[in-house]
This record gives sequence, structure tokens and C-alpha cells, in this order.
Amino acid sequence: MRIYLELARLAFQQQFAYRAAALAGLFTNSIFGALLASVYVGLYSSQADGASVGGFTVAQTVTYVWIGQSLIAPVYLWGWWEIIQSIRTGAVVTDMLRPTNYFTYWLSRDAGRAAAHTLLRLIPTLLVGALLFDLVYPDSPARGLGFIASLPLAVLVSFCFRFMTNLWGFWILDHRGIAGFSMVAIGVLSGHLLPISWYPDPIRDAINLLPFRAIVMTPVEIWLGQVSIAEGLALQVFWSVVMIAAAQALQSVAERKVVVQGG
Amino acid sequence: MLRNELAVTLRIMGIRWRGQMAYRASFWMQVVSNFIINTAEVLALFAMFYRFDDLGGWTLAEVAFLHGISMITFSIADTIVVGLNAVPNQIRMGEFDRVLIRPMSSWLQSVVSEVSLRHLGQFSQGLIVFIYAVSNLSIEWSLAKVGVVAMMVIVGFALFSALFTVEAILSFWTVNGVEAVNAFTYGGSTLARFPLHVLERWMRFLFLWMVPVGFVSYYPTLYVLGKEDPLGNPAWFMFLGPLFVLLFCLLIAWGWGQAIRRYRSTGS
Repeated sequence: MRIYLELARLAFQQQFAYRAAALAGLFTNSIFGALLASVYVGLYSSQADGASVGGFTVAQTVTYVWIGQSLIAPVYLWGWWEIIQSIRTGAVVTDMLRPTNYFTYWLSRDAGRAAAHTLLRLIPTLLVGALLFDLVYPDSPARGLGFIASLPLAVLVSFCFRFMTNLWGFWILDHRGIAGFSMVAIGVLSGHLLPISWYPDPIRDAINLLPFRAIVMTPVEIWLGQVSIAEGLALQVFWSVVMIAAAQALQSVAERKVVVQGG
Repeated sequence: MLRNELAVTLRIMGIRWRGQMAYRASFWMQVVSNFIINTAEVLALFAMFYRFDDLGGWTLAEVAFLHGISMITFSIADTIVVGLNAVPNQIRMGEFDRVLIRPMSSWLQSVVSEVSLRHLGQFSQGLIVFIYAVSNLSIEWSLAKVGVVAMMVIVGFALFSALFTVEAILSFWTVNGVEAVNAFTYGGSTLARFPLHVLERWMRFLFLWMVPVGFVSYYPTLYVLGKEDPLGNPAWFMFLGPLFVLLFCLLIAWGWGQAIRRYRSTGS
């Protein structure tokens, strides 16, 4: 256990070496947040005051945008291909020989990274959003805590998904095809691109049956009070358990496929 | 001299182009995955208009017009000047020296150090969206309007190429945090997909007078679609696009010159 904490701590500290990159990311997320929030305000402008679309008022939608932008870094929505890169360089062999569980090894590192990104990216982005727009806030301290509790679960589900898409690298060395598909899948299915309730009903119902909503939509719903805290967290715990099991099952198949590159 | 350089540039681009085509399967996979990545945002646009009737007075087809042009313009820039993205790394590794000893513009050399054909995916997607928009709008086409559309693509290409250059220029001073320029390249191309008047005042200011994205997308579109500007600006605003982009490019060219003069090799 101590070794995993140590791995997490190192990954946490590593992020603090890239403070300028964090600032740049904050700036980009803020520009996109302001842009998308404005577009949504524009969409609501011809609706009656206080109108709700798919369960979202305009203020709730703007809040959704900013939570979505601040979650990008902690849940690492796009572009995490460290395992595939390790397969290509051959470092995967060393990683697998370590006296640690392969899955837990990567998970600890990701947890440390996500904790750092929560401080460096999530909180500052939300603060920028709060300064620029009228956001809706959790209506009780319990909801605020519920939102905080939902963050590690969101990271966990997202990690399992990223771990599994990376494991495809054991079969296919060129990850760009998978990268394209998974970028679209995660953007749409997590609810990052649009609130899931805005899609046509059959599509909405189908997306709601999948695990990905635990990554973005459920934390937002907990914050906004669209779901009870217990129900939201229970859904995330359920999907965490399922995804961990799936990730480990895939890992045990993949381990038998290792082809070492280079020497 | 200049004509010679352009000939060499085109020649190198042709070689890189053929080089990419050599791996046929990989090439098609990249194009298809690039197409798919961009599908998401187009689907989002349609899904938005499934729940809402208009965006600040603009219909789906009108917003799709902006989307199509922006995707076409940006994908051309991304394809041609993508080599500039490699400059920060070349500086770090001390490889930029090589560029300086060759008898050719350092900027053109950096531009052609890579060609990325995968953006053909976004290009074809943009074309489909544009065709969808035009066939659902009743635009009274005239020679002037066709000219304005062509101008949007050419001037937009110049603007985004200049913006890609900004990141390369900054990397001569620092490699820390230059990703912030993404807010203007990718942010600018996203912003160009929506009618400018719905934006917050400071955003409009930023993307008109600091980085003239609005002048090359929003104002010419108003003219082509025959719409009034809710912001009350006169119709000739669309002619500010080429003018400002020209000034912007001159500024960037000067910046590139300064950056080259300042360059000290890492000397390894």
C-alpha cells in the first residue's frame, strides 16, 4: 500500500513542475468556457424567462459549462496514451516486472495527477467562471461535499476507460484510430459536449444506460441538485466497480499478448 | 529569388505529401478518425437545434454556414502550416541551427517541415456542412457574394496561419505555457462557428480588435446571408477583415524576424 501512496505522491508533485502549462490550460479552458456559456445564453434568449430545457434553466446550463471545463484536466478527457507509448518504447516490460499490480500502479499515478489537477485546474477554472458568469451553487453544504466526493469516482471511471482503450495497444500499435473513436465517444457519452437530456429521447435513454455519464454528467447533477446525493454517488460507485472488473479482465487477456518492441 | 523559394516550397510539400500517401492504410485511418472527431461537434450543433429553435435569431442552417466555412478554413491552415508546431521542439533539441544555414526563408522551411493530410477529414466534413447550409438557405447568389466567400477562406487561412506562427515565435523566448495560444487558434476556430453578437462584450472585443477572427467570419457572413448586425455596425465592417489580417500578418512577420535574430543555439 505504501508504494502506491508514494507513486501517487510523486505523480502529484510532478504536475507542480509544470505550472506555466497549468496556467496555459486554465486560460484555454476559460476562453472555451466563456465562449460556450455565451452561446448557451444565446440559445435561451428566445425562450421565456426561467424556461427549463431538458431540465436545465439558463443559469444551470452556464454552471454545467463551467463544471465541464474545469473537469477536463482532472478526469483527463482526451489524449492520455501513456501506456500505449510504453508499449511502443518497450518500457511496458519493466512496468510489468515491477512488484506491483500493473493496474494499481497506473491508477495510483493517475490519482496523484488528478489530485494535482484538481488544485491547479479545476478550482481556478471554476473561480474564473464564478467571476465572469452568474453560476448556480449547491443549495446545501451536504451537496457541496457530495460534489467533492463525486470527483474521485469520476476520475476512477474515466481512468478505467482510458486504461482499457490503452490496452488495445497490445493488439494494435497505431493508436490514432482508437484515439479518434474514443475522443468522440467520451465527449458525447460523458455529457461533456451537451447535457445528455438534450439529445433526442431514444439517444438520451441509451446514453444514460452507459457508464460514461459518471465522468461528467453525474457530478454536474449532484452540484445542481438534479439527482439526490446518495443516488448520484451510488451510480458512480456501481460503474466504478463494473469498470474496474472489466479493466482487470481485459488486462489479464492483454498480458498474454505482450510483444516486446526493440531490445 | 522569391519565385525560386516558392517553387522549392511546393516541391518539398509535394514530397511530404507523397511520403504520407506511401502508407496508404495509415493515411486513410488518420483521415477517417479526423473526420469522426469532428463529427461530434457537428452532431452537437444539430442536437442543440433539436431542443432550441434559434441561436440569438440565427437558424440552424445559418449557424451551419459559419460552421462549414470555419472548418474548411481551419483545416486548410492546419494541413499546410502544421510544421510550425515542431519549432518549439527543434529549438529545444538545437536542431533549428540547420534551418538557419540553408539559403531559404526560415519560416517557409518550418512550414514545410511537415504536412498533415489527416485534416482532410475535417475539410470534407466542413464541405458537407457548408453544402447542407447553402442548400437549406435561399441565398441570392451574385458574383460579389461568391467573391466574399472565397475571401473568407483565403483571409481566414492567412489569419490562422499567422496565429499558428505566434506559438512558434513565443517558443524562442520560453517553452513554458506557449500552449495558451491554443485559446486563439482552436478557440478562434470554434468562436468563428457561432454568431459573434451572442458573445459577452469582452469576448467580442478580444476576437475583433485583438485577434480579428470576427472580421473574417461573422461580418462577411452577415453580408452573404443578407442579415442585419444586431450590434449595429455598418456593412463595410466586413472589408476590415482583409485589412486587419494583413496588418496582423505583417506584425507576425516582424515578430518572426525578431525571434530569428534572438535565436541562440542550445549548442550541443
